[in-house]
Order: sequence, then structure tokens, then C-alpha cells
Amino acid sequence: MKEGKLKNIFLTGAIQPEFVAASIKKHNSMKGIGGHSIFLGQVRNDLIGNQQVKAIEYTSYEEMALEKMYEIRESIFAKYDLTCMHVYHSLGKVMAGEISLFVFTSSAHRKAAIDACEETVEKIKSELPVWGKEIFEDESYQWKENK
Amino acid sequence: MPIKIIAFGRLKDITGNGDILLDDAADTNQLLQQLNKKFPALTATPFIVAVDKEIITGNTDLSGADTVALLPPYSGG
Repeated sequence: MKEGKLKNIFLTGAIQPEFVAASIKKHNSMKGIGGHSIFLGQVRNDLIGNQQVKAIEYTSYEEMALEKMYEIRESIFAKYDLTCMHVYHSLGKVMAGEISLFVFTSSAHRKAAIDACEETVEKIKSELPVWGKEIFEDESYQWKENK
Repeated sequence: MPIKIIAFGRLKDITGNGDILLDDAADTNQLLQQLNKKFPALTATPFIVAVDKEIITGNTDLSGADTVALLPPYSGG
């Protein structure tokens, strides 16, 4: 059905700051844009009991996630006057302090970009079949729960 | 044709890494009964079920070509 239009959002490992910068730069030629909104999710070194999280290992039901992301994208474009939207999510291990989610929305005016970015992040957290395993310093782990 | 079951996240700690194949399940209720028997720890773990990538809300008929996914609460981002 929509497989041809499904855009991959997954990257292996952390999302590099240089990748974010390059993505911003690509929009230089789109001169109708007046505002970008960017959300960067970073892996936090939570202290759980006496154990500190050193990394999160992400896995996904990828085929389902990409279909779901397509639906999220469609619903956001239907609701907000966006010029473009880009979403990247890490799979595999991302160390504390590194970036695991990058959501980037652009619009002629700031409000649509900001609101669309926020709503997209919330939908990603609640609707995308992705799971994070929090790995501690001694390699033991627990499964992350989104708040 | 057996039905393929794939588990994710913490459910993999219960079911192991490989796919599970079950033969005689006409619908998802039967399938879940068999799974609970095979992996008793599943009954203590919350999850939802997707048949061919669509989340189901009630008992759903199955055919041999279906893939059933067991999805614990999401924790991406």
C-alpha cells in the first residue's frame, strides 16, 4: 500500500551533532521557511538504586514503526502548516550524553514549527514501537519505561 | 501453516530471541492461551498484540500467513 513512500527514520548508534548541523544547512535553499524547531532527545545517566545508566540499547519493530511514523507524519502535516519535517531515531547502543532522537520541523512561521515539533515528539514517545534497554555500569540492565 | 509470533522488548527475556511458531490457533485468544502455557511469565507482563502490524482490540481470527507481534509498553525517544 504505502511501502513505497515509507521513509526510514532509523540510524545505528548515536545521532551525531554534525548530522544535525548538516541537516540544518540543507534548508538554506528553502527561503520560504521562517522558523525551525528542533527537539534532541539525549540519553540520561539516571541513578536507579545505586546503579547508574551508562547507555540505552534501542530495538524496534521496524516495519510497524515506519508505517506508524508515516501516519504520524500525515496527521501532523494535515494539522499544521509545515514546510518540512525530519525524524531520526537511534537503534542499537547510545551512550549517556549522546543523542538518540532528532525531530526537526520547519514552517513559514515559528508557531506551527514549534507546536508540530512538540506534538510529533509526544506521538513518537507514545505510538512508535521502540524499546529502550537501560544498561548499567556493570552491564546489568532494566527495561526503560516512558513517563 | 504455522503462525509466526514475534516478541519485543522485555518480552524477549521471557520468550527467547528466536521467532515462535504455533500450529493450532484459530484466533488470538487461542494463541494467547497457548503462549501463556508455554511462557507462564507472560501473564505477569503487560503487552498489546498486533496482527500483521495492526494493533488489535479484541479477539481476532488468524490465518497461517499472519504474523502476530507481542508489544510491551513503548519506551523510545
